[in-house]
Amino acid sequence: MNWPPTLMHVKIKNEKANFGLWLPLFLLFPLALVVLIVLSPIILIAVLILCGFGRGRWVWWGLRCLKVAIVSSWALRGLKVDVQTRRDIVQVSVI
Amino acid sequence: MTENKKKILEMLADKKISVDDAYRLLSVIESDRGQPGDTTRAEPEVKSKPKYLRVSVMPDPENERAENVDRVNVRVPMSLIRAGIKLTALIPPEALDKVNGALKDKGINFDVRSVKPEDIEELIDALAELEVDVISGRGEKVRVFVER
Repeated sequence: MNWPPTLMHVKIKNEKANFGLWLPLFLLFPLALVVLIVLSPIILIAVLILCGFGRGRWVWWGLRCLKVAIVSSWALRGLKVDVQTRRDIVQVSVI
Repeated sequence: MTENKKKILEMLADKKISVDDAYRLLSVIESDRGQPGDTTRAEPEVKSKPKYLRVSVMPDPENERAENVDRVNVRVPMSLIRAGIKLTALIPPEALDKVNGALKDKGINFDVRSVKPEDIEELIDALAELEVDVISGRGEKVRVFVER
């Protein structure tokens, strides 16, 4: 089974900035779910209006976008980008 | 002649097995020649599925100009590539026409619409054999490979 990413680490180091950031994705996902549940009545109304005006294709497209967004974020686990030049260091890793 | 070969020929002489069976058994023994006395066929090596696509640009230690080279190390999960290919299904047809046109202008005769979700697994399996190894004159060592 593929587990969702739990942490994201971003590190940027150059002449202007020098910071590292740990993003707790395991907290962001439940938060996103709560937001989705809270907004679900509005989304449902929007879907009904769009379908009423014959724009059902947009609803279908939106749902597919949502699915791909979820699948993509789920698949981020293990991503690592590490670029080091003479002046800059950019590191992104998803754990 | 090994014991196993003798046994096969004896069985053939006694008409316990057919000529075809004897030939097949002898072929198995021939293929396992490195393991005397073992009549079982060696299992083919099971390749694990590719997990990551790796791209690395590192300074070539043998090149004196390598000190100024930028270092890049990217590891992309295969599942993300799968998801990315699925993204093409969301591109509107008008945009796909533009993409195809731009590719054609660059001399690439490829229809983006021909990428179907069913082809993804085949594509990723093909990627498993990929390995690019380039050493440039500027002291860079570029490697693109698949990690299991």
